Amino acid sequence: MKAIVDCNSFYCSCERVFRPDLLNKPVVVLSNNDGCIISRTDEAKSLGIQMAGPYYQARGLLEQNNVAVFSSNYHLYGDMSKRVMDTLRMIVGGDKVEVYSVDEAFLDLSQVPVNELENLAMEIRNTVEQWTGIKVSVGVAPSKVLSKVANRLSKKDKNATECVMVLDKEEKVVDALQRTPIGEVWGVGRRYADKLRDWWGIYNALQLRNMSPAWAATHMGGVTGERLVRELRAEPCIEMKDPLESKKMIATTRMFGKPVTELRDLREAVATYTSRAAEKLRRQYCAAGVIQVFVVTNNYDNNYSYNPQTKGLYSTLPRPTSNTHELIREALPLVEKLFRKGSRYLKAGITLSGLVPDDSIQGNLFVPHQENLNRLLMETIDNVNFSMRDDMLKFCAAGVAKNWKMRQELRSARFTTRWEELMVVK
Amino acid sequence: MDVEKFLVSGYSGTRNFNQWEVPTANATGFGAAADDYMERGIDLNEQLIRNKPATFFMRVHGDSMSGAGIHDGDVVIIDRSVKAVSGKIVIAILNGEMLIRRLEKTFNKIKLVPETPKLAAIDVDPYAEFSIWGVVTYSIHSV
Repeated sequence: MKAIVDCNSFYCSCERVFRPDLLNKPVVVLSNNDGCIISRTDEAKSLGIQMAGPYYQARGLLEQNNVAVFSSNYHLYGDMSKRVMDTLRMIVGGDKVEVYSVDEAFLDLSQVPVNELENLAMEIRNTVEQWTGIKVSVGVAPSKVLSKVANRLSKKDKNATECVMVLDKEEKVVDALQRTPIGEVWGVGRRYADKLRDWWGIYNALQLRNMSPAWAATHMGGVTGERLVRELRAEPCIEMKDPLESKKMIATTRMFGKPVTELRDLREAVATYTSRAAEKLRRQYCAAGVIQVFVVTNNYDNNYSYNPQTKGLYSTLPRPTSNTHELIREALPLVEKLFRKGSRYLKAGITLSGLVPDDSIQGNLFVPHQENLNRLLMETIDNVNFSMRDDMLKFCAAGVAKNWKMRQELRSARFTTRWEELMVVK
Repeated sequence: MDVEKFLVSGYSGTRNFNQWEVPTANATGFGAAADDYMERGIDLNEQLIRNKPATFFMRVHGDSMSGAGIHDGDVVIIDRSVKAVSGKIVIAILNGEMLIRRLEKTFNKIKLVPETPKLAAIDVDPYAEFSIWGVVTYSIHSV
């Protein structure tokens, strides 16, 4: 059996851990730049506040109803996420947890006797809340897709399910699938959902399960569709991923605080993102062979007409590297080529691909320790930045003023990661 | 380079060290005599944090617990996985407010007791919004 553990309104829950006065009150969290709503509690949802709705449109409704609004505080959410995942690892074992996103993890429960699943699921929910203060929902089922189905239903009616649903019997699976609209099945996008409804009259997950895997292979995108139907039939096809599997591509991208028009600001932003991506690259012992820079413009005079256009250029490096300065050196000419005077840039980003293992890192016990100097420099920068925070050491190309930095006007304190920002208690 | 130390970005204790980090023990095996007594030193994280994902830090303002040796400006370590039994110093939540007090439970009553003559003990109203946020395990005081 597999389980998925999903935190309830994760970002809002993190804020509530340190704001007990907001328990049972409506809370929302805004995206980078305070652009739109990316997390809302059930109370905010029942006020009619839309997920992913722009903040400036919802502002009236939020103020009217006294909704607590927060800018995103990724330092806090990242730390709380790690606590939740560590708690799960302690309960079921480190190798049984696959972190799927910041607030979700799959658990491999194949070693657990079926009659103990319900108790274990409840213990997981209770322990995570006790230790971290974060409420989670647990869905348990024979396959990943079915565990997602169970999880969604456990969240729908929290009072009846107490946030736990175990699909350990055929009739429970059938009932759950019947109550799951086709568009809500994990892996079925909106386009496929429309197609399944209009062409085949498939409205819920049960109807889809009753189709044959061969049918799915022809009409639902080949092997992916086939696997989906098999998963719904409780035949596990999507296996647990190795949690240490390294990424094939690394991307860093952010919205700007306000539109950028100067080449200098754009260069600084791209250099900063490159530094961040290079750090991620080194953390997984890789070197990148290709760097791509992209920029998003919005050239309309009206601030609210959003018609973004993306342009990108890439360059192949002479040899794969993980050194920040070598990557910045490749990235900056691309920025200059992309830049047009008079354009308003909303966003920029870089992706590193063509990743290969960085051989310069592997040491050999019997060969005198010959340190690659660049490697040593990068390690030193990473260590200083890791312990001092906030880009203590950086390349000048990344700038000092940072006119383009994002807006975070309503951010809470970094209660769990900064000594100076600890919660105060009387 | 110790792979495990790098991948697990959080603090993972100092149990893992290799021969490069022990200065005199080179690969020839001829180290200084003191190598036999090499220890890894005292690590406060290990001593003060029993359950890392459940451990939080908070700063105390005011004198409510000065009788227990917790003074204005001190940092307290809180372990949410410790059971809040009577007599423990806890972070309590009463009507949305966070308080540091000593918990006193009797068969039908819950009291939050300060450790200063300036404040009175609070009898927790059974209808109040009340919960325990966590149990205080250590206090860090600068002298």
